[in-house]
Amino acid sequence: MDIGAPDTEHEIEISPLEEPVPAPAPIEEPAKEPVPA
Amino acid sequence: MNPEQHTDPIVGWRLWHVRPHGDAHRLESFTWHHVSWPARRRFTAECPTHGDSAPTEGHECGIYAFKTRELAEDLLRRYTGVRQHYGRPGQELPPLRQGCPLAIGRVSLWGRILARENGFRAQHAYPYDLFLIGGDDELARQLRRLYAIDVWLS
Repeated sequence: MDIGAPDTEHEIEISPLEEPVPAPAPIEEPAKEPVPA
Repeated sequence: MNPEQHTDPIVGWRLWHVRPHGDAHRLESFTWHHVSWPARRRFTAECPTHGDSAPTEGHECGIYAFKTRELAEDLLRRYTGVRQHYGRPGQELPPLRQGCPLAIGRVSLWGRILARENGFRAQHAYPYDLFLIGGDDELARQLRRLYAIDVWLS
């Protein structure tokens, strides 16, 4: 990927308050067997 | 010189391959074969020379992204011959081979970033949203669920 000449490079530091990553997928619980009353 | 400091992630544009991994498709690096992007976890640059210090000055390591959609589309045309502008009506559809889907989309970048005139080399990244090329509704649904991002069929 040609993003430009190295001599145009400058450094940026990004420290997000919250990382832009979605929460982990919820764990799907197995269906429970109906319990007789 | 001290780097610029920000709290908002940079949003760039890039391409991915979409390849099967076990029973699910995943995003893969466009230029590095079989480097898979994790779902719901940040993707962090690693370098054989600099380890987790990537990206470093004077090297080419890091996670790459362009500054604009047009630059990502130019790369897509050069690699695949696909002539398409995403999100604009009336454009031709891509003649991709079946079973070799691609994605073009936005990516969040953060951590240490080295910015050049046309793009970035970043330490951390996660897909922001993407257009799926050469896939179908089921694949779009799978990627949407896996990465928890918006995925459109182009």
